Formats: sequence, structure tokens, C-alpha cells
Amino acid sequence: MKVRIKAFARFREIIGSENTLEFDDGTSVLSALKSLSEGSKDFRDACFDKEGAVASHVVLMINGKRISGRDREAGVLHDGDELAVFPPVAGG
Amino acid sequence: MIRLQQDDFEVGEFIEEARSRGTGAIVTFIGIVRDDGIEGIELEAYHDVAEQELAIIRDEAMREFPLHNVDIIHRTGPLRVGDNIVLIVVSAGHRKEAFLGCEYVIDRLKQTVPIWKKEFRKDGEHWVEGE
Repeated sequence: MKVRIKAFARFREIIGSENTLEFDDGTSVLSALKSLSEGSKDFRDACFDKEGAVASHVVLMINGKRISGRDREAGVLHDGDELAVFPPVAGG
Repeated sequence: MIRLQQDDFEVGEFIEEARSRGTGAIVTFIGIVRDDGIEGIELEAYHDVAEQELAIIRDEAMREFPLHNVDIIHRTGPLRVGDNIVLIVVSAGHRKEAFLGCEYVIDRLKQTVPIWKKEFRKDGEHWVEGE
């Protein structure tokens, strides 16, 4: 299946604004983010804490909806999903 | 109206548009690029989602307070000191709800809408930490 990963602000500068990656069906958010971090230490440092969990300040969305709690890692991605990863917002 | 745009906005046009026979108060908020020793800023947005979230905030404000209309225009792209960043125009029958509605919109916008600000200074550039 294909998942589009969009990144913004500091994350965009590290991995680019958009990556479409091929994953096995049932891939979790955590697995997708780990795949992205394999090629980039900077992304790994920005996205994960020292224990290897998704850092608490990182905001994640699937198809434009924030994901929270267990879904931040265990949430399952589907073909055609858009996963967005970004730092806390600072508009206004 | 809810819109993200690169261009500046004409504040007076939105205020005139907000007038109606039942309107007793119009409150506007304009966010401006402040001179903190910066040379300029760049605003980046998750465009479609930011517009969706602005619409949600407008709907929340109109449910929460007896408002007549809420317009939110937020700019993106490179801006200089003194440029407008965001315009919020809230109209209501009375001043109290117009003030409360306007404050609600800007506070929520800063908490949730996926927009980021990068500051450019003589000694380099950095992303503004979100709240």
C-alpha cells in the first residue's frame, strides 16, 4: 500500500515536504516513522525521544485529523492515507 | 469568510461587509509582524487542514457566543516587520459577545491551526516555538 507522508516546518527541512512510501498492509504509525528515520539521523532526533518513542511535542495527523493517545504509535495506516508530522503550531 | 492567502487584506472591506441591521458591535483583531530585532518572517501552513480548522474554530465561536458573523483571514509566505499576519472580524448584537468571540478565535487559532513561523535575524534563522 502507498502512504503519503507530509512534513512541515523543521520536519520539512529535514525530510522534505512530501514522501510517498510503500508499506505492508497494517503498518503502524510508529513503523512508518521509524522507516523514515532510518535514512535520517536528524529526523530520528527530531521525532523520537531517548527511549525511541514518538516525542510528546510532535504532532501527528492522519488525513487531516490529529491522532492522540495510543494511536500516535499503534494507529494503523491504510492505502492512500496521508500521515502528517510536524512541531507545535505557531500561527497568529 | 475563512481564507489562507499570500496577499494582504483590506481591513475596511471586511468591516463594512460585517455590518447588518442587527449588528451593534464589530470587534477586529489584527496580528502584525513585530520588530523584535528580526528582518522578517516566513509563514508556512498545512494549507487545506489549516482552512478546515479555521472553519471549525469559527463554528465553535458561533455556537459558544451569540455572534452574527466571523471572518478569519491568515496570511502565508514571506512577511516583513509591520506587515499584517492575521485578521479576525467578529460581529454581534452587543460588544461583550463580540469581544469574547474574537478572543476565543485568536486563542484557539494559536493552539490548533497548523501554521508555523520562521524568524530571520542577522545572525541566522529559527522556527518560533509553538505554545
